[in-house]
Amino acid sequence: MRTSQGSKRQTLRQGVALMGLAMISAIPAFGQAQQVPIPEQPSTAPQIEILGTGVATLDLGRSRNSTPDGGKASGSQINISDSSLVVGAAQRLYKGGIGSLTVGGLALDQTNTGRGTQLFLHQAFADYQAQSLEAYIGRTDQPTAQIVTFPTLRGDDLVTFTNLLDPFSSGENVNEHRYSNVAAITLNQKLTTFENFHVQHLIESADTSRGPSTGTGLNSYGASIQHLGLPGLEAVEKYISYGAGYEHRSIGRTDGGSSEALYAGGVFNLKPSLVNLIDLRVLDNYTFGSNLRSFRGTPDTFRANANAITAAVRYLHSPFGKPAYQVSLTAGYKSYSRVSQAGSIGLALTGVKRLGDGFDVVAQYLYQHRGDALATAYGGAHEENAVQLGFVFNFDTLFNRSVGPRRSLLNLQHQYIPN
Amino acid sequence: MKPLRKKDKPQDVSRRQFMTGVAGAAGAGLLLGQAALPAWADGGSAPMDSPATPWLASFDADGTAPEYNPREMPKAGEVIHKFEMEVTIGIHEIVPGIKAHMFLFNGSYPGPTIRVQENEWVQIDLKNKSPENHTIHWHGMMLQNEMDGVPFGTQWPVFTGQGYRYLFRAQPAGTHFYHCHVMTTLHQQAGLVGALIVEAKEDIVKKTFPYTRDYTLLLSEIDTNWVNESLNEMVGMGMTMNAMNNDMKLMGEMNGRMMGWFQDKEAFLKSIKDGYTPAYMTSMVGPNRVITPNFFMINGKSYPMTDPLLIKKGENIRVRMIGGGMQPHYFHLHGHDFWHVCQDGAPLASPVRMNTIPIFPGTTSDIVIQGTNPGSWHFHDHSDLSTTNNGIHPGGMMTMLMYEDAEKYGVTFKDVIQTNS
Ligand SMILES: [Cu+2]
Repeated sequence: MRTSQGSKRQTLRQGVALMGLAMISAIPAFGQAQQVPIPEQPSTAPQIEILGTGVATLDLGRSRNSTPDGGKASGSQINISDSSLVVGAAQRLYKGGIGSLTVGGLALDQTNTGRGTQLFLHQAFADYQAQSLEAYIGRTDQPTAQIVTFPTLRGDDLVTFTNLLDPFSSGENVNEHRYSNVAAITLNQKLTTFENFHVQHLIESADTSRGPSTGTGLNSYGASIQHLGLPGLEAVEKYISYGAGYEHRSIGRTDGGSSEALYAGGVFNLKPSLVNLIDLRVLDNYTFGSNLRSFRGTPDTFRANANAITAAVRYLHSPFGKPAYQVSLTAGYKSYSRVSQAGSIGLALTGVKRLGDGFDVVAQYLYQHRGDALATAYGGAHEENAVQLGFVFNFDTLFNRSVGPRRSLLNLQHQYIPN
Repeated sequence: MKPLRKKDKPQDVSRRQFMTGVAGAAGAGLLLGQAALPAWADGGSAPMDSPATPWLASFDADGTAPEYNPREMPKAGEVIHKFEMEVTIGIHEIVPGIKAHMFLFNGSYPGPTIRVQENEWVQIDLKNKSPENHTIHWHGMMLQNEMDGVPFGTQWPVFTGQGYRYLFRAQPAGTHFYHCHVMTTLHQQAGLVGALIVEAKEDIVKKTFPYTRDYTLLLSEIDTNWVNESLNEMVGMGMTMNAMNNDMKLMGEMNGRMMGWFQDKEAFLKSIKDGYTPAYMTSMVGPNRVITPNFFMINGKSYPMTDPLLIKKGENIRVRMIGGGMQPHYFHLHGHDFWHVCQDGAPLASPVRMNTIPIFPGTTSDIVIQGTNPGSWHFHDHSDLSTTNNGIHPGGMMTMLMYEDAEKYGVTFKDVIQTNS
């Protein structure tokens, strides 16, 4: 979402002693304020945005999504993973830019919540936006995961196909493939074509040859280019979005050496329609440069050279122009170029029926099949089947609205106003 | 209002009677016959009987009837003023640093002032070059029903790229205005409003208070955030509709129900049975968007960018004030009383002396200020919420009455512009 700027923490430091008059001491009303470079009077209220997604399902069958160290936990479970709450604050700046801060947490999957690490900080970044430039620093979506998102129930379903995997991850927390610590600059032309240049710290949880890292040093960099269609016109436009990117990951020599990645994909409308929309998503993640020829454990499956292609067809039925239900089929195929018997396929058949604004009843069938080498690396299971039934509630509420979206139709179709 | 005094009898011959030469209304309590109505108005079924009235002589019980049959068309030799009005989306600057995307009539906000003589014909070709639908409603005009500019009420809204010709006789005289009547809350606030001045052939105000300078102050407010958000949504919907218009397959899906349009109540109820959900039903708390105006404008500008009213000692100026927004305003003039002379276009039975005048939404009030006290004087909404810019005082609906010859009378203090207090 990229909203938000640091609120006003510090209060009335100035204006304390006035000519020796007895003054009411200027202590912040709500506890001790945090140290900031320039204390701010709490007079300007920023725009506040609250986004929430609750995904609650009853999973029947093996349900470790695609968490690759799975295979041990079979049977049924209650699953609240991928539920998240995000708060943003945004403010206009003096010369027409927008400054924002976004912080949010996301529920981890069952195994991890069982261990008590329920929340994963998936968003915590500050962002500066001007008309032709955006810069952001902090924890947020990996830039490599921003080209295409798929219509699966959760963002981490089929993650080994849909995401460029974190070669430093132990595999226990699937969200390490989706979120990282990033510093990025994004240029754009007419707010339509975007070039993202970034450096990253991909989260290092694996016990690498250098030992597990607790630091946040840079271990990855890359660039991507993306074209976005007009917002709000997804039902009638043909090309919704498409893009491609390159990423370099600096992996130690004993872990296969540096890995390069190329990725490309897009979202296309097969049947533009307000009532019966059919669209297609395609994404290919291709990695090369690693010397690994076998898997010593789960993390090697994130490092070895591979190609993963994923496609999804989605049908959205919206009588009277309002979404009523959606059916989608997402399928992925992945193979490792230097490791044999390591191919895998994944399928997700997802149905969503809308009960009210933002509230859906959902059902999904997930299937994965892995070749011998991959199955061994993941603990032995060749096949996973799961049926998931549940509810999703999704909202996005703005308070104190005072910052318009940079990429609004008005800004795109008419002269740009920094608002 | 003050009671009528004998000498204040501007209307003992009403405009209408003056024009048609129908005598009558001479004494209080006189029952006026149908003859007092225009001939065209009396052909129908139930004639409008004039009531017996205890009101004063100047009161004309038939005074609200149009002078000419609104359903007539122009005859050879009659003057027709022709205007083109093009609606686009553009950028308007309210005060330095505050710009908003707005709907504009001929590129300006407010729209151009239309000024014609009473009973002349006005022809306006509306051309819609924006991605939304519009109409023009002629506020205060007694015109034929089809020219009233109410979408789905008197005409289809004018779609993108299309046009509509309005033709009406300018009656009655006075200060009026026009505005788009499609989603008025948004479209009028987003810019589609302008003044329509119909000059009387026999102007009782000018006769009583000879003046040369004539000012129009159109008052309006905007919630720039709400307008921005809503306009974006509307433009998206409009562009989607236009894409459907240009595609045979998509056109087949076009359905009034998507827009919340129904032939009648029965069709509406049937659609609900078929699964249609009216927008107001989706959440019982309603959308999280209350309209909170943050800028208050006189002729599209907020203080300090408002234009002053210029006057000289001994001069009369006429100021036409139009409630072109959605909030009432209470205009107060420092150092002077003024005469309230017309309301909603029509002359009052007698000028009323005041120094603070309420201007309610949709109303117009004409006042005459007499140059009696040289200096520079504040003229502003006394409901002080409206004298702010984004919550900061001073700003908004404030302007100055400025004597051009103040120095001559020893007033040397120069007005200072403030943007913060
Ligand atoms: Cu309109």
